[in-house]
Amino acid sequence: MARRGWLPDQILPAPGVVLATLREFTASGELGDATLISLQRVAEGFLVGAGGGLLFGGAIGLSSRLNSLFGPTFLALAQVPLLAWMPLMILLVGIDEALKVILIGIATFIPVVLNVAQGVRDVPVALREVGRVLLFDPWSMVTQIVLPAAVPSIFTGLREGLANAWQTVIAVELFASSEGLGYMMSWGRQLFQLDLVLAVVAVLAVIGLSMNLGLTRLEGRLGRWQVRVP
Amino acid sequence: MTGGALPWRPLLVPLAGLAVWEAMSHIGGVSNQILPPPEAVAHRLWDGFTTGGLSVDLAASLMRAGFGFALGATSGVAFGLMLGLSRWAGRLLGPLFLGYRQVALFAWVPLLSMWFGGGETGKIAFIALAAMAPAAVNTWRGTRALSRDYVELGAVLMFQPLDTIRLIALPGALPAILTGLRGALIAAWLATVGAELFLDVAPGLGGRMNEGRETFQLDLVLGSILLLGVVGLAFGRLAVFAETLLLRKRTA
Amino acid sequence: MLMKTDLTVPALEVVGISKTFHVAGKPVPALRDVSLSVQNGDFVAIAGASGCGKSTLLRLILGLDRGDLGHVRIDGMPIGGPGLDRGMVFQEHRLLPWLTAEQNVAAALRRSGLPAAERRRRVAEQLELVGLTEFARAFPAQLSGGMAQRVAIARALVNRPRFLLLDEPLGALDALTRLRLQGELARIVRHGGTTALLVTHDVDEAVFLADRVVVMRPHPGRIADVLTVELGARRDRSSPSFLRIRDRVLAMLGVSPIDDDEEREAVAACSFTIAASTNGARSDRIGQNIGAWCGRGGARTEQDAYPRTEGGEMVGG
Repeated sequence: MARRGWLPDQILPAPGVVLATLREFTASGELGDATLISLQRVAEGFLVGAGGGLLFGGAIGLSSRLNSLFGPTFLALAQVPLLAWMPLMILLVGIDEALKVILIGIATFIPVVLNVAQGVRDVPVALREVGRVLLFDPWSMVTQIVLPAAVPSIFTGLREGLANAWQTVIAVELFASSEGLGYMMSWGRQLFQLDLVLAVVAVLAVIGLSMNLGLTRLEGRLGRWQVRVP
Repeated sequence: MTGGALPWRPLLVPLAGLAVWEAMSHIGGVSNQILPPPEAVAHRLWDGFTTGGLSVDLAASLMRAGFGFALGATSGVAFGLMLGLSRWAGRLLGPLFLGYRQVALFAWVPLLSMWFGGGETGKIAFIALAAMAPAAVNTWRGTRALSRDYVELGAVLMFQPLDTIRLIALPGALPAILTGLRGALIAAWLATVGAELFLDVAPGLGGRMNEGRETFQLDLVLGSILLLGVVGLAFGRLAVFAETLLLRKRTA
Repeated sequence: MLMKTDLTVPALEVVGISKTFHVAGKPVPALRDVSLSVQNGDFVAIAGASGCGKSTLLRLILGLDRGDLGHVRIDGMPIGGPGLDRGMVFQEHRLLPWLTAEQNVAAALRRSGLPAAERRRRVAEQLELVGLTEFARAFPAQLSGGMAQRVAIARALVNRPRFLLLDEPLGALDALTRLRLQGELARIVRHGGTTALLVTHDVDEAVFLADRVVVMRPHPGRIADVLTVELGARRDRSSPSFLRIRDRVLAMLGVSPIDDDEEREAVAACSFTIAASTNGARSDRIGQNIGAWCGRGGARTEQDAYPRTEGGEMVGG
């Protein structure tokens, strides 16, 4: 459709044009730089959010007391749409890197906590009793029984957290940043260069798919024992 | 817990937090701009609803979200049905859809704003886009998972495609569809708030929050956050209620 | 069987245990005033229908749950919770799915304080005992039900526990595997000289394996009686004494082998006939035969009632 020139380039550029733009920006290094910046932000925010989420989610999953203390508050705060925290955060920490990392962290934290808590709670009582019978100390219980049993849920949480993190970083970069992939898109829009915008969209798609693949591979590696002999 | 006893643990943290907040905001040296006391926030909300335009903002946001949701959810369910029922659609369009879902939602804002200009249509299109994905994914999964037996029954009874959809696919995949609709509602609300914030839309809660931020009126900002949370909670409860209602007859 | 010790303190003792569960607000008395004593080397089976509290009793002995009243004592000392002196085999194998067979067995040695080399040796020893050395590196998902349960038995024994507790260990297996494993279990327990407590609803299994059968009744759970399984009955499913004891237990549990009047009359006639044909001579053997074939054991065919050897002679003469 685009190639046949039915629509002017401003509305829908031909794939060829988009590809050319991709090549051009990769060569100049701008695409690479922007990608790295965005990736870095995601990595920082994700690590903080996922790490905290694992600990907090594990804690409220294991201890019903902690759950009744902190769970409802957490759930209530999680109802607030993520980006609604932005104005408050801008007032508190300004508009630079800290803002992005905090927002990405929150975006990762929420799904990780929800999934990890559920996964820990769902560990079969039968297996936990085995731990008690074998006199496992609390550390062994968690590392030998609870964690392996919760692996599928943990990975679901990490996947969701990562997806959220990407959504957030792009959104924030689009409107409140001067670098990164999101910024490139908004720059392309300002210059009415749709081919650039679409080029970045393609890059985002590729990154997203490969991250998902990576996580799934990692989970498969850890879950070898689930394979049944045919 | 015996009946009648108030569950105190869940309330402990919020109440303690409230107490600390109250205390801190009265400490000398911490200006009321930086940390308004809880009463100020409550007051601000009250004012906003009675005299300020807060109810207008809320209504505007809700309307946008509603329209976007309706549009996005219906097209999402339709798309999901197609993907699930037609094998070639599933194979051809499926991977494309999967790729599309990898792209951050807000990445579409520049494109949409270029195509639709800056008006309401563009925003509603964006919200619809946000609602479409969860609706489509869950409907797709639900129809794909339909028991072979039911689909074959349709073939045996010589069902027209529309009949199959009406009598087999929709009821069979209903639980999944409802899950998708719940996700779509949440996504629509998130998109609404985000778009209003970023594009500084007014009337709208997002625009109001920005105003609060720009003029350093923290009580307005905090009040809006509270409001948004309440709406989010209400949506969630509404969705669960609707689900229970519609699926009620299924469990014997 | 080991000689019973002549100490007055039993190896394992349950004294006046009571336990009530609360289900949906209503109290359900699972056990009421249950007492039992076990000596070293005993093999005790606890038999009863569902709901008689036998699994609850075992869990209390294991230390997983606490009774409301009464004590469980080992060598006179009350137990404080689970311990390595009591190994447990559950009805589901409960192997950790992410560990191989040998890793599962080794998991039981985490608290044993043994050096690594000794642990490896013991794990290999146990796996060999249950006949699964080749499957040491397999994951539970790759094992059949019977094999997985054997690994569970190995895990329970690797600490050389004083007591082996089994809660319907063969209940989840098919009938053939069950019979095979019963023999295995007998061999394994005898090999180690462990004191065993087996909970089962399968009366045949109880009489086959145990020295004593504790018969329990439900609502509330309590011990109805304790029967001793004579030497001739043990490990031989076709011996008359086996059948007799089995039928006694079944009768106690409310299951009569003869269910209608006609057959009952035939049985009575049979007894009379046998007694008559042996001219009233009563040897132990005849007495046993009558008991087994015409009493509650039930005569079913002429061959049963008038058993003849291959040579055509009538047995029990």
